Amino acid sequence: MTHTSIGRMLALLFAVCLVAAACGEDEPEATPTTVASATTAPETPAPETTAAAPETTAAEPAPAEDVTLRVLVHQNPPMVEFMESFNQSFEAAHPNVTVDMSVVGAGDLSIAIQTRLTAGDIDVIDIFGFANAAQPYMSGVNPPNWQTLIEAGLLMDLTGQPFVDLYDEATITDAGSFGGKVYSINLGRVSYSGMFVNLDLFDATGVAVPTTWGELVAACDTFKAAGNECMTVGGGDGWPIFVGAYGLLGAMYPDQEALVEGLWTGDITWDDEHSVEMLNRMQIYANEMLETGVSGLSHDAAPARFAAGDVAMMPTGVWQAPALDEVDFDWTYIPFPGSDNPEDNQYLFGKYDQGWAIAADTPHPDVSLEYLAAFSEPGNYQAFVNAVGFIPTQPTAELATKLGAEVAPYLVNYRVGFEQYWVAPTGAGQWANASQAAAWFDPFNEWTDPAGLGAQAQADLQAGLDAG
Amino acid sequence: MAIIDRKYLFDKGWKSAAPIALLLPGFLLYLLIAVGPSLATAVYSFTDATGIRGIPVSWIGFENYDEFLFIGAASRDNIAALVRTIYFCFFVTTIQFGFGLLLAVLLNRKLKGTKFFRTLFFLPVILGVAIQGLMWKLFLLPRGGPVAEFASLFGWTSEFLGGQPRQAFAWVIVVQIWANAGITMVIFLAGMQTIPERLYESARIDGAGGWQLFRHVTWPLLTPAVNTNLLLNIIGSLQAWQLFLVLIGYRPGTQVLGYLVFAEGFGQVSGEVTTAFRQGYAAAASIGLFILVLVIALVTNVFVSRREEKFLG
Repeated sequence: MTHTSIGRMLALLFAVCLVAAACGEDEPEATPTTVASATTAPETPAPETTAAAPETTAAEPAPAEDVTLRVLVHQNPPMVEFMESFNQSFEAAHPNVTVDMSVVGAGDLSIAIQTRLTAGDIDVIDIFGFANAAQPYMSGVNPPNWQTLIEAGLLMDLTGQPFVDLYDEATITDAGSFGGKVYSINLGRVSYSGMFVNLDLFDATGVAVPTTWGELVAACDTFKAAGNECMTVGGGDGWPIFVGAYGLLGAMYPDQEALVEGLWTGDITWDDEHSVEMLNRMQIYANEMLETGVSGLSHDAAPARFAAGDVAMMPTGVWQAPALDEVDFDWTYIPFPGSDNPEDNQYLFGKYDQGWAIAADTPHPDVSLEYLAAFSEPGNYQAFVNAVGFIPTQPTAELATKLGAEVAPYLVNYRVGFEQYWVAPTGAGQWANASQAAAWFDPFNEWTDPAGLGAQAQADLQAGLDAG
Repeated sequence: MAIIDRKYLFDKGWKSAAPIALLLPGFLLYLLIAVGPSLATAVYSFTDATGIRGIPVSWIGFENYDEFLFIGAASRDNIAALVRTIYFCFFVTTIQFGFGLLLAVLLNRKLKGTKFFRTLFFLPVILGVAIQGLMWKLFLLPRGGPVAEFASLFGWTSEFLGGQPRQAFAWVIVVQIWANAGITMVIFLAGMQTIPERLYESARIDGAGGWQLFRHVTWPLLTPAVNTNLLLNIIGSLQAWQLFLVLIGYRPGTQVLGYLVFAEGFGQVSGEVTTAFRQGYAAAASIGLFILVLVIALVTNVFVSRREEKFLG
């Protein structure tokens, strides 16, 4: 090998290193742009299923640079459909802006938020309502991920932004604030503790809509005897099986915040008589009420199964109501009658669902804020609520849909659910959160004995409490 | 023929540095993408890292290891996941090894259609894990899926992947074997094709039958392929986690150690969307997995080295 060839080889190697170094360098994104106050906006037609076309407002003067606004949302078909329509409107009103929206599964949202915020690769994020904060009676627990994101300085402080005032104070305080500052605007409450009921099938079978556990058991027996199915859920995603029984949990323990505290302090145990009865009912729900094969049915596909017309009930969240717009039977949404006392079956439990937050280091802070401001305009927000079926968090909006009419009588009894309060102690075992027990009974897992599961759940919980 | 002095293979003086210069880029790349992250993981395992930019990382000594192995009922679940990982490794390795060998023996014959079947059995290997998982989820749909329809002929119903943990676990073993048996087969085939035909001819002249040919000619001379497959199957199955994620998700009674690492690191363990990311703790779990892989791989290596020495000298 000659001097020349080795020299050429080293020169080539050096050149490759230079190219690699250049590629690795962070390329600065477009300079932050300023979008000024709103004026009139052109309307764009909404998709057929969207209740109303979102309107966005144009900015003046238009920023010179082209901006790609990166938005992250979780998979919820009617919401995604609405957002695509809204984004078109926003782009039409802001010709220099392109909205690049990523959609991830709900279960992957927290991972996507963490990785994309850490990578500085996102501007506007969809974040669930702030929940599961450590309470004074809890010790040795890890802070929820949203708190960690705020403490890391990754979320923009939205305090004082005019659009924040459009949302009700309780929502801003409960679902979007930390340490006296606002980091998220929450877009709606949902209930997950009720169930959709096929009223036509009830009529045809001569069964009254149940108001107690005993009536529910009898109704299921009647439906099955008539060759129909009692209940379905989209169990393919795992969580819909136990979320479908959150209404049962709520009916047995209507004060869910007290249940969490009781479990932590030892005033309530998973193996006491009341809890074992609840587990017994969860077993009946899992083993006898749900139709065979629900673990192969995805959450998104469940409404189509219900729409087939031969399933009497579908215990799930209200967010699935838009998927029932086209069904050819009459339906309603009622609290899960899990208690023998009808008074306990009047509550709807739920959570704050989707919210918006902005990455603190977004290179487009003004466009991001304008995006949230445009979304929050009452007309757009109302269209959003109509599309997704959330219980509104803007006081001027109303759920003017069939679902809204059906749940209206129960909204006075709306309560935040167990899963929003529950934090497991460090060292607790895998069975410690028995609110999910519906998914642990045969045929979905190994348990067939409610008392045995209650004892195991309490032992797993106690192990964590003792370790703390 | 000129005699080459190995000492001066790449000339004398500074020219002798050429091999090092040629190896250096690859070595640096290896340091960067393999050794570096591994060492970083070991360091992270002694911290409370969350993986979130901007959060201070504190040195907490052996706390993560202590929690993983000894604290509360969660440690019992971790040990159960470790044991389950070993079960998974045992069943996948033995069945995949045997199945791959059988396929290779069958497809090493000069018969019509062998090329087609080689391609067919290798096909799953080129599919991504998500595609493999999706195919089997459809195949095992409890309502209307082909397996369910067939099982219903005998009056048997099941939730399959969403049902009893042991059954779901067994299906993941099946899918893992289906997905990787093609590689095992190809390695065996490659090994078989290096065995000179004259050895078989000599053995046949000496009166050897099919089984004796396999036992006394193929099997000993297949030693390098056997060893390679054994190590690849063991290490691959110990580290498996993606199929668990795609096929059954995080459910009590089904986790293996590799999936536990992912679930702890990215807040997937509780079913709540607000669960903390515990990447320091996950790093400790992954070091536990690394030690498990290391011990089993070393023991296996000793075994296969002895075997190689015995058969090949």
